[in-house]
Amino acid sequence: MDSNATLKQDIKQMMVENLMLQITAREIGDDQALFGPGSLGLDSVDALQLVVALDKKYGLKIPTPECAREVLQSVATMAEAVANHLASAPVEGQSSPHTA
Amino acid sequence: MSPRVILITGANGGLGQAIARAFLQESPANLVWLGVRTRRDRTDKLAGENADRCFCLGLDVTRPESWKQAVAEILARHGRLDVLVNNAGSHEDALLATMSPDSWQRVLAANLDGVFHGCQAVLPTMIGQRHGRIITVASLSALLAPPGQANYAAAKAGVIALTQSLAKEVARIGITVNALCPGFVETDALAGLTAEERKAAEMRIPMRRFGRPEEIAAPVCFLACPDASYITGSVLKVDGGIL
Repeated sequence: MDSNATLKQDIKQMMVENLMLQITAREIGDDQALFGPGSLGLDSVDALQLVVALDKKYGLKIPTPECAREVLQSVATMAEAVANHLASAPVEGQSSPHTA
Repeated sequence: MSPRVILITGANGGLGQAIARAFLQESPANLVWLGVRTRRDRTDKLAGENADRCFCLGLDVTRPESWKQAVAEILARHGRLDVLVNNAGSHEDALLATMSPDSWQRVLAANLDGVFHGCQAVLPTMIGQRHGRIITVASLSALLAPPGQANYAAAKAGVIALTQSLAKEVARIGITVNALCPGFVETDALAGLTAEERKAAEMRIPMRRFGRPEEIAAPVCFLACPDASYITGSVLKVDGGIL
């Protein structure tokens, strides 16, 4: 499994645990919509939990509702934002705020 | 009982002091933070008597920045925050016809905005922990709406609605949100009553006496304890039977 696939798997597992989904991580599609018709059926409280969980687990800050709409479309969009954030993370000892 | 980190606002007042003492007595492991805006003579004394587990911090509940700093200070020290008690408040009684807009705004800011800012400040931490207890001290005035307290009663009624709405939002995340409505309590706020006014007030209370601050603090502690895990969105009146 490549690192991107591993990241997506980790995000799915995080979703199942944090959002108490009644499905397994394997049942979540990479590109499956999280909100709206035909989606995973998440709501605004789930979105709030995802924002906090992504910050806690990966240090990814999602500062605005617009940014949240962009990042929280699917597991794939979350993984992309996390990967970009981790790739641009400062070396140890330096600190600067990073946002999605 | 495992150690918990607790923040109490309005901690220099009689009720805040009683709540702080109740948490300190409940468990030697409890870590209690006392939020105060200006006066801090009593909080300094309490913190001095309970070194290493009771701390004072400056907190103007009406300012989001002040909340941010306070929560950051607590997290820097303990890495968690388990309980928020929104106790700070003030009243400026007047008939509505003569109430100044400034008085209306000040009372709304202290009693309602302060609770909003406080909840918003602690929620990211509590959501991350997937655990938290928010207890807000409202007032029987929210339910009785007495004359002369349009600003205070409206603010406290708003607090109740906020409590019930937020409780539904965060219930599945392991956070409970409840409100208390104290009636007449022996605190500084009632010290200005004349003997006659006091007697008249006592006659309205089925128990025929004012409550003691400790009698408000005890249910606050209960709502924060593990045994209250299924109670959320509740409004508990502690009033000697008035309502």
